[in-house]
Amino acid sequence: MDLTLAIIVTVVGASTPILIAALGELVVERAGVLNLGVEGMMLIGAIAGFVVQFHTGNPYLALLSGAAAGTAASLIFGFLTLSLSANQTATGLALTIFGTGFSALAGSSYSARPVTLMQPLLPEQLADHPIGRVIFGYSFPVYFAFVMVVAVRYFLHSTRAGLILRAVGENDQSAHSIGYSVIGVRYLAVMFGGAMAGIAGACFPLLLTPQWAERMTAGRGWIAVALVVFASWRPLRLLAGAYLFGLVMTMELYAKAGGGVLSVIPSELWAALPYLATIVVLVLISLRRDATTNAPACLGKPFLPTN
Amino acid sequence: MQFRLEKRREPSQFMLYATPVAAVALTMIVGAIIFSLIGYDGVGAVREIFLTPLTNAYKWQDLGVKAAPLIIIGVGLSIAYRANVWNIGAEGQYVIGGLAGTGIALLTYGMTGWWILPLMVLAGMLGGMAYAAIPALLRTRLNVNEILTSLMLTYASVQLIYYLIRAPWKDPMGMGFPQTRLFSEAARLPFIIPGTIVHLGVPIAVVVGLVAWFIMTRSVFGYRMRVVGAAPHAARYGGFSEHKTIWLALLVSGALAGLAGVLEVAGPFQRMVPGFPTNYGFTAIIVAFLGRLNPLGVIVAGVVLAITFVGGEVAQTTIGLPNAATGIFQAMMLFFLLAGDILIKYRVRRVVPQPSQGAA
Amino acid sequence: MPYRLELTGITKRFPGVLANDNVTFAVKPGEIHALLGENGAGKSTLVKMIYGIMQPDAGEIRWDGAPVVVPNPKAARKLGIGMVFQHFSLFEALTVLENIALGMDAKIPSRELEARIRDVMTQYGLLLDPHRTVATLSVGERQRIEIVRALLVDPKLLIMDEPTSVLTPQEVEQLFDVLRKLAAEGCSILYISHKLYEIKALCDSATILRGGKLVDTCDPKQETSRSMAEKMIGAGLKDIVRLEGRSFGQNKLAVSHLSTQKAGHFDVPVDDVSFTVRAGEIFGVAGVAGNGQNALLDALSGEIRSDKDAIAIDGHGLGLLDTTGRRKRGLCAVPEERNGHAAVGDFSLSDNSVLTARDRLGMVVMGLINSGAARTYTGKVIADFAVKALGPASTAGSLSGGNLQKYIMGREILQKPSVLVVSQPTWGVDAGAAAAIHQALVDLAAAGSAIVVISQDLDELRALCDTLAVINMGRLSPARPTKEVSVEEIGLLMGGVHGATEAQDAIPA
Repeated sequence: MDLTLAIIVTVVGASTPILIAALGELVVERAGVLNLGVEGMMLIGAIAGFVVQFHTGNPYLALLSGAAAGTAASLIFGFLTLSLSANQTATGLALTIFGTGFSALAGSSYSARPVTLMQPLLPEQLADHPIGRVIFGYSFPVYFAFVMVVAVRYFLHSTRAGLILRAVGENDQSAHSIGYSVIGVRYLAVMFGGAMAGIAGACFPLLLTPQWAERMTAGRGWIAVALVVFASWRPLRLLAGAYLFGLVMTMELYAKAGGGVLSVIPSELWAALPYLATIVVLVLISLRRDATTNAPACLGKPFLPTN
Repeated sequence: MQFRLEKRREPSQFMLYATPVAAVALTMIVGAIIFSLIGYDGVGAVREIFLTPLTNAYKWQDLGVKAAPLIIIGVGLSIAYRANVWNIGAEGQYVIGGLAGTGIALLTYGMTGWWILPLMVLAGMLGGMAYAAIPALLRTRLNVNEILTSLMLTYASVQLIYYLIRAPWKDPMGMGFPQTRLFSEAARLPFIIPGTIVHLGVPIAVVVGLVAWFIMTRSVFGYRMRVVGAAPHAARYGGFSEHKTIWLALLVSGALAGLAGVLEVAGPFQRMVPGFPTNYGFTAIIVAFLGRLNPLGVIVAGVVLAITFVGGEVAQTTIGLPNAATGIFQAMMLFFLLAGDILIKYRVRRVVPQPSQGAA
Repeated sequence: MPYRLELTGITKRFPGVLANDNVTFAVKPGEIHALLGENGAGKSTLVKMIYGIMQPDAGEIRWDGAPVVVPNPKAARKLGIGMVFQHFSLFEALTVLENIALGMDAKIPSRELEARIRDVMTQYGLLLDPHRTVATLSVGERQRIEIVRALLVDPKLLIMDEPTSVLTPQEVEQLFDVLRKLAAEGCSILYISHKLYEIKALCDSATILRGGKLVDTCDPKQETSRSMAEKMIGAGLKDIVRLEGRSFGQNKLAVSHLSTQKAGHFDVPVDDVSFTVRAGEIFGVAGVAGNGQNALLDALSGEIRSDKDAIAIDGHGLGLLDTTGRRKRGLCAVPEERNGHAAVGDFSLSDNSVLTARDRLGMVVMGLINSGAARTYTGKVIADFAVKALGPASTAGSLSGGNLQKYIMGREILQKPSVLVVSQPTWGVDAGAAAAIHQALVDLAAAGSAIVVISQDLDELRALCDTLAVINMGRLSPARPTKEVSVEEIGLLMGGVHGATEAQDAIPA
């Protein structure tokens, strides 16, 4: 019982950054932009969050800095792909390479210096009982992720701004000819994606491992990109996908800690599992008939008005 | 003063090859400014990273050795990217190529014979090919995006190294270090210039670039890659199946990444170690773009990126610049290059602002 | 009473082109005013400036007598200008209601908007279900969305850009009824077209543009089609030269029970199509866009494979071969989409010749391309078909639409195919180039080839083809000699089944 609860708590923690980053990317892609720089923006958010947490000890300020840093990084991407219509795939890769280098440089003087983990949001009394802990015992980002799932869903399907964003992703030329600013909408979406990736990155030192390590996001940004495909660009499905991955990653932790039956399998296989699971999940989703019909029609295509 | 973009009638060949040069130059200028602003010796950093490897003849052998894998992988990627096949898992195919070569080296441990090295090379290429075949299969059969699969496989391949050198392939005399034993003489790549570290892989890289250039510009294979990338619908109309092209692109780029892997393990490393994945596969993405997806350009770009690697190490020891700075310079180069791409199809025109009139 | 819209000295320049040169005309309230001209005459540019998508370089726009600047479409709508585009600005994945909401500047609660939409639909007989996804609608239905969207803002001027090019003759009549009703209520209509009989039937006055310049403003009811056509085209019209009383040879192309799979969500497959074309015969396939024409062309060209004997030349089944295999056996094809399908915009013309002519003309030796042979052949195509290009090294994308089409047609025709299948051979091509392409097709047929022309332009098919059939929802009607079928019959076949399902699906308000 206790183990089950402990596992749930770990799964929720491990899933949260992926979920937040994937939600951001989902909005970006719904606007017709493919930003493969999520991993890079997460790393930039992670180091920004770490540095602020290290110096101020204020985790909210750290999350905010992560968001700001992620947004700044996304603006590089936005400027190249939206203002200069550069190839989105290549620019996203460049952003990831840049983020990896930038975070490593900025973090080079912080190695092996611990920070404090973020405390639970709600009063301790609520989390006394084991069940209470599973529901009330988390820190702010966990609840933030939940709220954002609902908020993004509401935004996309029930607001006019969401309708415009979807329209821009479906048919940029038409949206332009009706009189919407395709580039403007996409800039906002890309910045939102950057902020979310930055927050997701900041979650790593604040929630998971309280120190700085180069490439500490370990490909989670790419998994977030894959999850958006898995979720067929729908926020609620994203929730399910993120928790599935949280489970896989938690199993790795238990295996490494010598968790009984799990340790029969080499630890390296456990470590490879999230990546292999991503492939399996992509394969499974491709078998569905509506696999790609939900994809925004303009995804990844540069926009240049034809007139 | 305002500027406006105006579409060119024909894409500019001049801009196509001028922008990479400008990108490198801008990287040096902007890099010097940024690193000065954040408290390093910016000018010194640029000098050490970009110029010292060229002016110091002692560093030339390092350049060759670093450039070889970048060129070999970059050539493969340039072929795949031409066809719009986004293999970004070259690092993984490089690793599997290295592991396949290592397997042969360990199997033939203690043996001699001229055939061992060619067999290792063959195994390495087949290994890289096989690893690239996974994304090819998933993309053509199930329409799964090759970017994500090839990248995920890269993360998995690194774990495979860790496993193999921790358990079954571990050096029995290695005092517990996770690494394989040193390859026997017959499984090591010969040095071609006595007294240097320049190995056979260096001329192989140049040959690979030249052959690929000939094939890409003159053959139906090259035409196929170009037309599928430029206009997939037209390619189908012209009789080039998209699936076959995806297979070819991934197999060729995988084989070349595998070749680079086996040459690295048999050359500079001479054994498999945890540090074998050195990001060549990712840096080669920059090489391919900077070389304008043209194999001859890739040779030049491979040398440029090798300069930044070697120079980065120099700057680390001489002015204490963290090694990560190299990555930033490399990413900046790619950013500037991508930013300049628009000048190929568009020209910048100055617009004389007109007196604005009030809207109705 | 002031004019509703008055243009004075409107000029718009693009790099290398003077799209509008000092254009002046005016539209009265309640008037249906035609803007007539060939493709490339500058009609679209002109209306884009009226609708605020572009700004004129010089000249003045007056609205109800007062000079205005229209900085963007929103401002145009605020003035009371509505526009229905030739290429619809619709979002396929969204519903009719969402599409209309996107086009509204005022934020109206969706329930209220739906009620207003239903009002407009009943008033003008434009029936549609507001909750259907656009992807499931026919082209005619999609146009209704655009019209409803424009009407919701109570426009005082409605601009219609080539509205009938995608409609059946019956749908055209319905549209005209709507437009006449609107005009009777005082709404001005600016009707852009190059179809003369439509303008004579509908419009009160006509402004004719040629090469960006105003040629004349006239009363179409006082003009003959011929006189307006001459004003529109300039030089005297050229007719197709063909020998009368030609006889056809043996059956050349035989298509029997050809069917294709539904490829995508929006794809209309071909369903059990059979026909034969004899040597020397030009076989026309009429039909409204989106009724399986693309699938038919792809199935004939080899982009889609079929059963071996579904397609045969001289009795030899080709169904299993790809495009290269079929070309080797004499079947060449030209798809509708020029840039990106029939040609690669970023490639030189010479490289584009390699795309389809490499095997028939021996441009490949041992896997290597003989670029000299490609260049020579391309030069011949450019010369024989009067393609305006700097030479074989020009990129396909740098050519104008008409010149690119001449190059593509020339590239296929000079390969002397025994069967040629072409889709929309003169779509968006100026009259001179169209005449040259038509003549080349007639000459190829006279030399003994079998030709299939798939087109939405009935005039073109009737002028060009010996035999006609109509495709509707992927099914092909029986073929009839062109001389024996009337426009009305073809129209009924084109609407056919389609019109019936439409009426059932629509929900009366």
